[in-house]
Amino acid sequence: MSEPLDAFTAVFHRPSGITHLLVSPAHEILAAMGEDALTVAALHARLAASFDLDAEPGALAARLDELVEAGLVEIL
Amino acid sequence: MMSDETPPRDGTPSSPDKGAATRRRVLALGAVSAGAVVSIRPALAQTAGSVLNCEIPVPDITRSGQYIDASGNVVAPGTKGAFPPPGRPFKGEDVKRALAGAQLPGTTPDSNRAYVAYIRRLQRGQGGFTCFASLQMPRG
Repeated sequence: MSEPLDAFTAVFHRPSGITHLLVSPAHEILAAMGEDALTVAALHARLAASFDLDAEPGALAARLDELVEAGLVEIL
Repeated sequence: MMSDETPPRDGTPSSPDKGAATRRRVLALGAVSAGAVVSIRPALAQTAGSVLNCEIPVPDITRSGQYIDASGNVVAPGTKGAFPPPGRPFKGEDVKRALAGAQLPGTTPDSNRAYVAYIRRLQRGQGGFTCFASLQMPRG
């Protein structure tokens, strides 16, 4: 469940009952992933289709690590 | 370049009421100084489900085997007019209903009143207090 909140996006994660406040680019990354399992390169390409990106896939991997730590993204 | 203006690149289709397509947003992947994720964890209970699954022993384990008198006090076993402890802890869900007027499972109207009085008087640090406290939290 996701709800825009000024500069933030509030995401309620049902299985854990934890609410997360996301700022850009975390929400855009989650939205681009959807339900799909992607490699970092494929996700970077998908984001590049919608946005002008300022960094290489390495920077995206660092942002993904934060989402993994929060439990919102799973490493397969 | 033939024109001073940067033509909008293809991306999201423009909607008619927004006029011409706007320039694509820049997504800053590398410029995040603080974390992009802040997580808010509920303190007492993770979910409504876990609240209702918690248990309240009557009396708490340190005084197990003692009786409960009509006012909810823990008294010596065999005390006249007091009630023997129920055999097992009460479930949070049952206690929540009992606080709303229902009867705890396996009780008589009198022993139910005594057990509910005991539960209402639970203090921080006593077994079952956290469960009791989380039942008081309003939730939808």
